[in-house]
Amino acid sequence: MRSLIRKFGEKLHRDRSIAQGRVGIAAQDDVMVSEGAPDLSRLAADVLSRLSCLGIVAASPSLPFAEFLLRRANADAAAIVPLDTETRTFLHDIPIVRREGFTGDPAVAIAALLSNRKGVIAEGVGIVASGPVTLEQAYIHYSSVFHAAFVKYLLEVLQAGFLLPGEAEAFRDFRETFLRPLTAEGLSFRDGPLDDPEEVLSEIRAVGRYTVERGLVDSFFGNISCRVGQTIFISQTAASLDELAGCIDPVPMDNRSTTGITASSELLAHRRIYEATGAHAILHGHPKFAVAMSMLCEEKDCPVKDCWKDCPNVRMLGDTPVVAGEIGAGGLAVRVPPVIGGPGKAIVYGHGVFAIGRGGFEEAFRSMVDVENRCREEYFRRLDARLQVKYPGVSPP
Amino acid sequence: MSLPDQILVVDLSSGRMRREEIPRELLSAYLGGRGLGVRLLRGRHTLSPFDPAMPVVFAVGPLCGTPAPTSARIEVVSRSPLTGTVCDCSAGGRFAWRLRAAGLLAILVEGKSPRPVALAVTSAGEELLPAEGLWTKGVGETVRALSDRGSVAAIGPAGENGVLFSNIMMGEGNAVGRGGLGAVLGKKNLKAITVDGDRTVPVADRERFDRARADVLRLFRASPVIFGELGIAEYGTPALVDLMRQRRMTPTENFRRTVFEDSSAYSGPAIRATYGAKKDGCFGCPIECKKTAEDGRRLPEYETVSHFGALNGIADLHAIVRSNDACNDLGMDTISAAATLSAWGEARGRFLSPEEVGPLLQDIAHRRGEGDLLAQGSRRVAEALGKPGLSMSVKSLELPAYDPRGAYGMALAYVTSNRGGCHLRAYPISHEILRKPVASDRFSFSGKARMIKVAEDANAAVDSLVACKFAFFGASLEEYAELLSGVTGEHRTPQGLMEIGERIYLTERFYNARNGFTRADDELPARFFTEAGTEGEGIDVPPIDRARFGEELTKYYRIRGLRDDGSFPDDGFLERQP
Repeated sequence: MRSLIRKFGEKLHRDRSIAQGRVGIAAQDDVMVSEGAPDLSRLAADVLSRLSCLGIVAASPSLPFAEFLLRRANADAAAIVPLDTETRTFLHDIPIVRREGFTGDPAVAIAALLSNRKGVIAEGVGIVASGPVTLEQAYIHYSSVFHAAFVKYLLEVLQAGFLLPGEAEAFRDFRETFLRPLTAEGLSFRDGPLDDPEEVLSEIRAVGRYTVERGLVDSFFGNISCRVGQTIFISQTAASLDELAGCIDPVPMDNRSTTGITASSELLAHRRIYEATGAHAILHGHPKFAVAMSMLCEEKDCPVKDCWKDCPNVRMLGDTPVVAGEIGAGGLAVRVPPVIGGPGKAIVYGHGVFAIGRGGFEEAFRSMVDVENRCREEYFRRLDARLQVKYPGVSPP
Repeated sequence: MSLPDQILVVDLSSGRMRREEIPRELLSAYLGGRGLGVRLLRGRHTLSPFDPAMPVVFAVGPLCGTPAPTSARIEVVSRSPLTGTVCDCSAGGRFAWRLRAAGLLAILVEGKSPRPVALAVTSAGEELLPAEGLWTKGVGETVRALSDRGSVAAIGPAGENGVLFSNIMMGEGNAVGRGGLGAVLGKKNLKAITVDGDRTVPVADRERFDRARADVLRLFRASPVIFGELGIAEYGTPALVDLMRQRRMTPTENFRRTVFEDSSAYSGPAIRATYGAKKDGCFGCPIECKKTAEDGRRLPEYETVSHFGALNGIADLHAIVRSNDACNDLGMDTISAAATLSAWGEARGRFLSPEEVGPLLQDIAHRRGEGDLLAQGSRRVAEALGKPGLSMSVKSLELPAYDPRGAYGMALAYVTSNRGGCHLRAYPISHEILRKPVASDRFSFSGKARMIKVAEDANAAVDSLVACKFAFFGASLEEYAELLSGVTGEHRTPQGLMEIGERIYLTERFYNARNGFTRADDELPARFFTEAGTEGEGIDVPPIDRARFGEELTKYYRIRGLRDDGSFPDDGFLERQP
């Protein structure tokens, strides 16, 4: 249990979603163990003792976005409601608890909220997340809340500017210090198309790891595949992109075997993209600026209400098409294949990026880097423009 | 307009019947379904399963009759004549919905009718019908004879003749399987129950309910196991055939091996190609995992094809489907029937040919010739033949089609299951094999004691709502607590449901303890500790480490608040429960 605690603590540090040293993790089997920063470790253990689950992650995020969202919310708000697809599908909403709601022991209030949801934002504490079945789940739920808060805060700032003391300064730090250039330089890719299954497995593992190491995606989000003849080698559902060894399913194109029932929920989208484009490699991830920018639509008086799944239009973000569609058996498997062949990339509304390689993975990886960089640039261009309009004389961050 | 929360109590000895309100505090503490049924056994839980006073409870849950996905299910609870444990079985179809629409949450049947009868229930009332003319008839003929009275639950010849693994069959083809509750009805001379309610179930907070329902359906669509193109909505549970083969954990020839080379003969795609399998489902279920042939026959589930296939060394799909048809019409559990034949085959040194299975199933149901012994299940068969180690069962319940050497959580869950060797109490296959909600290491015991405990509690709550386990390949108690809150208007949380599940689980274990079950009964067949599975393709399937298994079992007891020998620390558990 302790080795797992350390593993997920290190992953949170590596993916830069927690402040240095500010994590506490508790897990229980027949006994409870906890490690990490003393205050957070104690909090995690106190929360866990009140719940029937395997583990708790309590951490101060590396960015104050969740805290800002809590403080920007209406005083009577019990939760924030990010509208990205991951949150809509898996989290539904994210409860918030303010200091005055602690009434003594914060663990009591946090446990009460976690009895009903996967993750909580607690004022002055950070994000606390539970793992009902495994400790990895607590790590995943923490990452999900961090991701959702990140995207929602980007959009809120773009729409309403800075409202709280310290926000502008924190955002400047985020922009100038936290964000790192995204690049594919220095990585090595095999030339494609690949035809040796062992090479394919090795390349998928490597490219999956690159996407996490280069900060394109968080560990748990995304999927990857390679077509070899009449077989798709695809990452399994609930697999971490940086830990794909033993987690890749070979799936026949003609469905003569159902071994791939454990394949990614996006198997159908991958299959149809291969059928429609002749590509040999597909990479899918949830880079945050692309997710945020895909949710900005300037259409006026549009009758579509649930645009994230029902919008029939193809919008363009630069040279990248944006389409709507639910994950899995929802609509993205229908809407992505027709638009991805030409540009080699597409964004799904509020969800993430698909990129294809007509040879190997290098084209797909570079496309994803390019999309996220362009979305990042466009985001800051719009933000700068907006802040100059709304706050004349105030320098943008 | 509200619908009464009533129970129909039927005394078959006297023929008296009455409807009673179920105390609100009982429903709050036990929800319905399995929990309510288990609670209603209290005080009679040490009676013999065939004692006329032993009740059989049919109970639906608070979501039944609403559009809550997968919730048109019923639980049947009594004591098993096969295992001696408390026994609950869940079944879908349309029966549950029509029972609720008759204003009932439950039917409790007790006593013994002097002659065969059928119970007919409508919104307006209930009556006992003479059923001498139906006695000895198969399930199909019985259902057809009663079909104008609504949805039918019936026993076949197996239940009438006391086969210890006889089912109660729903008219739509669903089974109240495992544990032999069909024989309990048979001893009571109750051939069938029909229900035909016509009332609607109100939803207190429609907006909250609709939001939760949309959340559930979104999660279904995001789950490759449910709505993926290779998932159970497309291929039914036989979608697991290829996966279990690939994971090298297909029980083969009475668990002597774990790979059956010919399993593709009865895989999901093979069944679809051969029988033109069409989607079918329980009332209102969006998944429709049941599959029917073009001629309307209900096609077999994963456990059935694998056990009549690999476990008996048979690769003839048509023969397997015929075995399924026979069991359904005779009213017998396919897992126990196939596993008993397999144990018998190994004991006599030869497994059955496809042609031999059909006649023997008839003999079992009618207690003829060798069928009379086989009707008692594999444990009694193996003991009678002087080879008790060949019964691949736990607490006399034959193991389903997941070899425990390939999934250590499953190994542990088989022995902690309160109804014997069952995969559905904790269903660790979900995370050990299907990676839902996340993956766990199938060849490790680390953390499994807590995982099994948590899942047992959760599934006891699921069986009390009553929802289908398959829903939880996508959704979780988080969304189902919201559905319940929407239906009742009272706020419920997943943790609150887990606490109810824990109460139910411990109550069942307490009943079993009172009936003499101890840690010695929480044991796997010795084969799994001494013989390896079939290695290959880079996968090693070693015997289970007995010491490590025992260590994890002790952890499980401690997590449950039990002594290290699995017993309760005091005798007052039941008195402390509502």
